[in-house]
This record gives sequence, C-alpha cells and structure tokens, in this order.
Amino acid sequence: MSWLRIRELVRKEFILLFRDPRTRRVLITAPLVMLLLFGYVVNYDIKLIRVGLLDQSHTRESRMVVDAFSASKIFMITQILRDDRELEQSLLNAKVDMAIKIGPDLARKIRKGETAEIQIIADGTMSNMASIRIAYSVQIIDKINQDLLKELYPQRMDYGKIDGRIRTWYNSNLDSQHFFVPGIVAFVVMLITLLLTSIAVIKEKEMGTIEQLIVTPLKPTELILGKTIPYIIISLAQMVMVTIIAIFWFEIPLAGSIFLLFSATCLFLLSTLGVGLFISTVSKTQQQAMMTTFFFILPFFMLSGFVFPIVNMPVFVQWLTYLNPLRYMLIIIRGIFLKGVGIDVLWHQYAAMAILGVVVFTAAIRRFRKRLD
Amino acid sequence: MLNLRNIQAVTRKEFYHLIRDFRSLYLAFALPLLLILLFGYALSLDVDNVETVVVDYDNTDFSRDFIRHLDGSPYFHIAAHLPNTKAATDYLDEGRAILVIVIPVNWTRDIRSERVSPLQALLDGSDPSFANITRGYVNAFISQYNQKLLIQFLNRQGMEQIKPPVDGQIRVWFNEDLESRNFIVPGIIAVIIMIVGAMLTSLIIAREYENGTMETIKSLPLTAGEFLIGKAIPYFFVGLTDVLISILMGQVLFGVVMKSSFWLMIMASSIYLAVALALGLFISSVTKSQLLANQGAILLTYLPSLLLSNFVFPVINMPKVLQLVTYIVPATYFINILSGLYLRNLGLAHLWPSYLVMIVMFTVLAALNYVLLKREGL
Amino acid sequence: MIPSNAEAVSVHDLEKRFGAFVAVDKITFSVKRGEIFGFLGPNGSGKSTTIRMLCGILTPTSGQGQVAGHDIMKEPEEIKKSIGYMSQKFSLYEDMSPYENIRFYLGVYSVPEGQWKERMDWILDMARLQEVKDRRTRELPQGWRQRLALGCALLHRPDILFLDEPTSGVDPITRQHFWNFIRELAAEGITVFVTTHYMDEARHCERIVMINEGRIVATGSSPEIIAMACPSRPDASLNEAFIALMTRKIC
Repeated sequence: MSWLRIRELVRKEFILLFRDPRTRRVLITAPLVMLLLFGYVVNYDIKLIRVGLLDQSHTRESRMVVDAFSASKIFMITQILRDDRELEQSLLNAKVDMAIKIGPDLARKIRKGETAEIQIIADGTMSNMASIRIAYSVQIIDKINQDLLKELYPQRMDYGKIDGRIRTWYNSNLDSQHFFVPGIVAFVVMLITLLLTSIAVIKEKEMGTIEQLIVTPLKPTELILGKTIPYIIISLAQMVMVTIIAIFWFEIPLAGSIFLLFSATCLFLLSTLGVGLFISTVSKTQQQAMMTTFFFILPFFMLSGFVFPIVNMPVFVQWLTYLNPLRYMLIIIRGIFLKGVGIDVLWHQYAAMAILGVVVFTAAIRRFRKRLD
Repeated sequence: MLNLRNIQAVTRKEFYHLIRDFRSLYLAFALPLLLILLFGYALSLDVDNVETVVVDYDNTDFSRDFIRHLDGSPYFHIAAHLPNTKAATDYLDEGRAILVIVIPVNWTRDIRSERVSPLQALLDGSDPSFANITRGYVNAFISQYNQKLLIQFLNRQGMEQIKPPVDGQIRVWFNEDLESRNFIVPGIIAVIIMIVGAMLTSLIIAREYENGTMETIKSLPLTAGEFLIGKAIPYFFVGLTDVLISILMGQVLFGVVMKSSFWLMIMASSIYLAVALALGLFISSVTKSQLLANQGAILLTYLPSLLLSNFVFPVINMPKVLQLVTYIVPATYFINILSGLYLRNLGLAHLWPSYLVMIVMFTVLAALNYVLLKREGL
Repeated sequence: MIPSNAEAVSVHDLEKRFGAFVAVDKITFSVKRGEIFGFLGPNGSGKSTTIRMLCGILTPTSGQGQVAGHDIMKEPEEIKKSIGYMSQKFSLYEDMSPYENIRFYLGVYSVPEGQWKERMDWILDMARLQEVKDRRTRELPQGWRQRLALGCALLHRPDILFLDEPTSGVDPITRQHFWNFIRELAAEGITVFVTTHYMDEARHCERIVMINEGRIVATGSSPEIIAMACPSRPDASLNEAFIALMTRKIC
C-alpha cells in the first residue's frame, strides 16, 4: 500500500471537487437548504388555536365559559358566529380550528344543578394537531367546572386532588428546532456522501480516467481509499459546520461529548460510503446516479424517525428500520445533543451501526472491485 | 393551427423514450406505489398508546386503581411497573419509554386527608410534537380525574348526587376517526403528481439539447405548440394513471374514501398535473442540461410540494416569509382541494378559487414555455 | 528492463470471449524491442480488446502472453510498472492543469518525490507545455492535450508505450508532429505499440499486424503486406490491400 499514491489520489479528488461548480453548489446549498427547511418549516408546536364562538345563551354563565377559554393564551376567539350555518361555514372554510357552541339553556341547567352541554367541534383534518387541541379543551372545561362548582356550593373546596407536576426531561422548551436540527447533521452527511461519492466515481468513468488508472500499478484498495477519504473528510467538515450553526444560530445546547459525535459520524460514514459506492456501480451516467441516490434517500429519510415516529409504524416496517443507519445515527445525535448521554446508554446504536457499516461497506467494495475488472 | 399528425409523431417518440428507460418507468410507476405504501402504512403522526412506565411508591388500592385507569385510556400504554425512579429514568434515557409517572409515598393518605398531593410526571421532550401531545394528554387525564375526585368529595359532604355543571361534548369534524393517514394519503397524491409531472418532464427537453437533436427539431416544420403538447401527452397519461391508482389504493388498502365528487377530483388532478407538466418542461427548457434540470426539479417541485403545501407541515407555524412563499406553490391549492374533496365534502361552490389559481398558473407557465421555445427558434 | 534482443511483447493463441461472442480468436504475434508496431483493423475487430489484455486491464480467456518480460496472466501488476498507456480519449483531468495532471501521475507511478521536479521539467519540455502548465487542460487545443496525454504516459520511463487510436480526430499537422515524436522515442529504445483504423498511418510503423473479426489477417511490414495482397500492384495503398484481403478479391 503506497501512501504516496493515496495522497495524490486524495489531492486530485479535492481539486476536482472544488473546481466543479456543481459539486461546490451541493456542498454549500444542501446543508443550508436543509437547515432552513427543518429549522423553520417542520414545526408542530401549538401556538394558537382559533376558535369560532356560537353563544346562544348570552348569560353570565356563558360568559364564564368564554372567558375561561380566552384566559388561556392559546385559545383565541377569532369569529363570533350567529347560527349553525355560520358555524358550519367557519369550519368548512378552515377559518377556525375549533368551534364552541353554547346552547340557550346553559344557565338554566347549571343553576338547577343539572349538566349543561357545550359542544366543542374540532377540525380533525390534521389529526395530530386536533388531538392536542382537544386535550387542551378538556382541561379548560374541567377548570370551568371547578369554578362553577365553587359558586354553586360555596364552601370550602379543599378536597384531595392530584397536582400533576410534569417535568420535561431533555429539551425542556419542547422546541421543535431542538429536535430536528441535530438530525440534520446526520442527514446532510448522508446526502453528501451518497451523492458525491457515486458521482465522483462515475465522472471518472465518463471521462475515461478510470481506465487510465487501471493501467497503472494502482491497487484497487488504494483507489477505493483515494476515492473515499476525501468524502470522509468533507463529511466531517460538514458535520462540524452544521453543528456550529446548530449551536450558535439555533442555540441548541450540546450536552454530550463531541468525541462521541465524531466517532458516531465515522461509523455512520461506513454505511453511507458503502451505499454511495454501490450506487456508482449500478449507474452509468451522473444523472442516473442522482436519480438512484434520490430513490435510496427517500426511504432512508422517511423510515428513520427523523420526522415520522418509528413507534407509529407497523411492526414489519419497524423491523425494516433496523437496516437503516440513519435510524441509529439519529438516536445517537439526539442523545448527544439533547440528553447528554454517554456510550453506556448508546452503545447498542454504535454496535448496530458498526455491524451494518462493515457489512455494507465490504459488500460494496467487493462489487466495486469486480466492476473494475 | 395545430397539426395533429405532428403532435402524434412527437408523442410517439416521447412514449418510446419513456418505455425504454428503466429509470423513468420506476419514477413513473414504482415510486408512486412506494410512496403510497410508505405514507399510508408506515407514517403516522398520531399519538396514542404512549409508552409509559409507572413507579408506585404508594401501593394502595387507590393508587393501583389510578394506574389501571391510566392503562385503560387509549392514550397511554403501561410498558412496565418499576421499583424506583432511577430505573424509570433509565427507560427514558434508553428511549424505551416516553413518559414516567411517579406516585409518591402516602399519596392516597394525603388525598384522603383532602390535601393537594403531587404526582410526578417525567416526559421525554426530544420529540417535541410527541411530547406536547403527551403532556396535553397527561394534563387532561389528571384534570378529569380531579373532577371525579371533586364530585366524590362534594358527595361525601352530604350533597345528593352532584353532577358536573358543564359537559364538554367533543365532536370531530372532517377526519372523524382522527387518523393522520386520512390526510396524508390523499396529500401524497400531490407529491406523486409533482414527481411524475415535473421531475420526469424536466429531463425531456434538456435531453434533446444535450444530444444535439434540438438543432434538428428546430429545422423541422414543427411548431413550438405542437412540440410542447406532443411532449406532454405521454406524461399526462402516466400522471393520470398514477392518480387513479393512488385513489384506488387509498381506498382499498387504507379505507381512505373521498366524500365528494370523483369527477371534481379528476378535474383538479388534471389541472394540477398540467401545471406540473408545464413547470417541468419549463425547467427543462431553461437549464438545457439534464443534470441541472434534475437538481432544479427536486428543489422547485418535489420539495415545495412536500414541505410548503400544508400537506403534513402546518403552514401556520412557519415564519411569515415562508408562509408567503406557499402562495406560489401550486401544491398548496391542490392540497386545499384534496382536503375539501376527501375530508370536507365540499363542491365547486367552495373550491372554485383554488381551481382558478391553478388554471392561471398553468396558463402562465404554458405561455412562458411557448415564448422560450419560440425565442430559441422553434 | 528487457534485454536488447528480446521481444517486448509476445502472445501465443491469445483468446478473449465475452459469453458466446469471441472478440479475440487465438492470435499469435510478437513485437521486437524498440519497434514501432502497428495493430490495424476496422472498428470492432478486437484491437482494443487485445491492447487491454496486454495492458492488464482485461484478463484473457485463454492463451499465453508476455509483456516487458512478465507473464500477462500471472504478473499483471509487474507489467503495469513498465508500460505506459494512452487511450483514445486522452483520459486527462480536464479541470486540472498540465502541471497537476503530471504531478498526479508521478504520484500514482510511485516516482520518488525527489525526482519530481526533474521529471516534471522533462515532460513539460518534451511536450512543449511549459507555458501553459498552469492552465486548465479543458482550455487547451486538441493537439496540446494529446502531447500532455503522451507525457503522462511516459513520465515513469516505461519500456513499452501502448497507444490506442492516438490520432483519431486530430488534424494532419499535429499528426505529423506526433509521428516524428514517436520515431524519436523508438530511437531511444522505447517500444511503441499503436492501434489504429487509419490504414494510411500504418506507413509509420515498421511492422504491422492486421486484424479483422478477432483473427489475424496479415503480418509483416507495409510493403510486404501489399505485395502479398496485391501482387500485381506494388503501388497499391494499404487500404486497398486490406480490402482485398477481406473480400478475397483481387486488388
């Protein structure tokens, strides 16, 4: 193994990479676009619930109900409705997220000690958002009941009740960005290695220089190292860049060890470089390589736990995710950024990634070598 | 006037190209199927059966009853009863549970003594959307339990059967079973059409430039209009086929049924498809390079339709700037129509503005395409 | 190094099959050291396949061969150290300059770094690229790129130079310069093995092998072959001789 040869190969790779305007673009725009999108687009926080109110009672009691909702900062009465038809329209046109209908007999029933009904109609279109709006509404109703009972039965209401103290373990602000941005580190590394490695090999094929290299005393191992080392370096550089942006722009704290992050990235790279090499062996042109990368990236992305929770997937699909290196990398990255956990907790993921990486990489190399011959 | 025979010739050639390229076929048929399966089966944003572990230091009938109620709720799933808090937080660290409930010592005694007793809940905040919903559930559950306790308390004071004054009757409209797949599966059609309509077509004109055949085409007695229409037709049919397959699969595999008119759906899909095709052809004519066209297509068609169309990511939560951008994303309007047709049972009376916008978008893009080709000398 | 009277290349019953298709059908020939040797034939005749087998790019299906004193089946790596190869496409890194291309191949051929400066100057002088050594190869005219490609094939001082269709698409003046240069190389003892489908270029070669459909059709010097194929017309061109041999008609 000649390190001189490998060194020159790596040098050549870097020169070509930075001189090709297209790859330059990918290196810069890919991480930035992703940070933009996942930093700002993917956000399920409930900031505001728009409410349409149909109050047919117009009494002090109905006022109490309305005030209870308004008092919470999240609910905002944005539409006053006059009848059922308007209520229907407001929901159909998605002008409100929720409609509250208070019947005319509210006050009467309450004063008589009976149960009055309030209709809370939620727009179920985005069911995850609807679920949480409903949960919030339930709490408001309970508070209303508490206040009303206090009024109806004016006596000491010191009853034994449960005080729920919910503490959020990690990411206490429940910030969407905290969840997604660290994952971007992993995704960017994956995208870059898959795309650029396969394109780099194919470009040589297209240029004819691969043939020229085969004629030299260059060993296949040296060629592979020469082709992969630059992308390892670049991926690590990208990882650092995205991490810096995450910490200083998005203000996401890095609770864990940087060294662990680095080593995880290296293990992760084994898998992604392997897939990149594989893609280069099944594509004849750069454009085919791009398309094939796209096909791989899609399921890798969807079935990794990045946006869609793995626990919600059917069991069969959950088993499939075990083959996805991004899945492990995400657990590790989130663990390191948000939880600050160490290798004692994360070693399963490291081991899994290592095994996966070794298998994929050796299989890819074997195929690559065969193609060279 | 348009010469039909010319159009036919162009269409036939384009059709052959499509059939013979394995990768185009994959994009055209296999990928949409894959997307439907993925999004329909695998991806759900709903939260239920949250993995919970309980540490019960109190260990009385009352506390056990509480835990039983917790488990009985569709929202929580008790994965384990653990002896101490450390074991429970280990579960959190390892990701084996999202929620830890700790019932302190003397909990029941405190409650029976009419004191406020704390209940500790630890929530894994890593996935904030999940966590938010779970927190909402926990609060709602405790709130309901407290109401029950209050009523019991009042009853013990000698009041007759006290009923809660207000009963909030929750109704869900439009997605009654609150399954995220009911809005995800129709929405994926928007993405599929963009992939087929725009990504595929983004290559076809660029290919002619790269191969040099564009020069030949310019010298033929073929008008720009005939060229564009001829190129688009095969992909229009592919796209429409995909739409039909998607609707069918959505219904058969996932039980996602359209409430409104099927023909309105076909009409909307056709218009949206036409927009996608015009967009793809436009990208192709401008970039003149297949590689660039591919990148451009991903950036300008696939990603926006996925991310900026109110498909799964609520536009209302995005920064104002991005919200404005969504107004020029064709998928936004199509998703709006889909939501109306699938979930809200709306008709043209309500949805006509979205149809109109898409028609306008198509007209503008088609005109741009025409002008561009004419300028090139076609 | 090859002893002075030995053969630079010798093959015996060399065969290459791709499935059922026989690309090279048991050919036998040899090349003397320092010869300019031409391998002529139309497209698809097996020229490129043969040269690839000799360079160690393809493994023969059967047969024997020796290049630069090493067995092509058993010691392909040793062969690679002693040969230089220039492909039809010139196979240069277009985004890199001549300097960078040469430096790269110096590294790949494991030329000791201490000798780099000297080799670099030698190649740049020989190829007359000193002035453009830092320009992007993409910007250089065809003839200059050809010189660079030749330079890269020579920088490790190989014994044998394999040139695959070196003058395709090159203007006549550049071709003239090219052949002059080849003659100089041969005079210094480097064996030059050229494949081409331009029959008229064969006159530059000392000895020729004509190949068609994987089989050798004629061997010898240019005049010898013409005499064999067109006995009645000594002034016939090699082209006409080839056609006569192929069609078995009289010249």
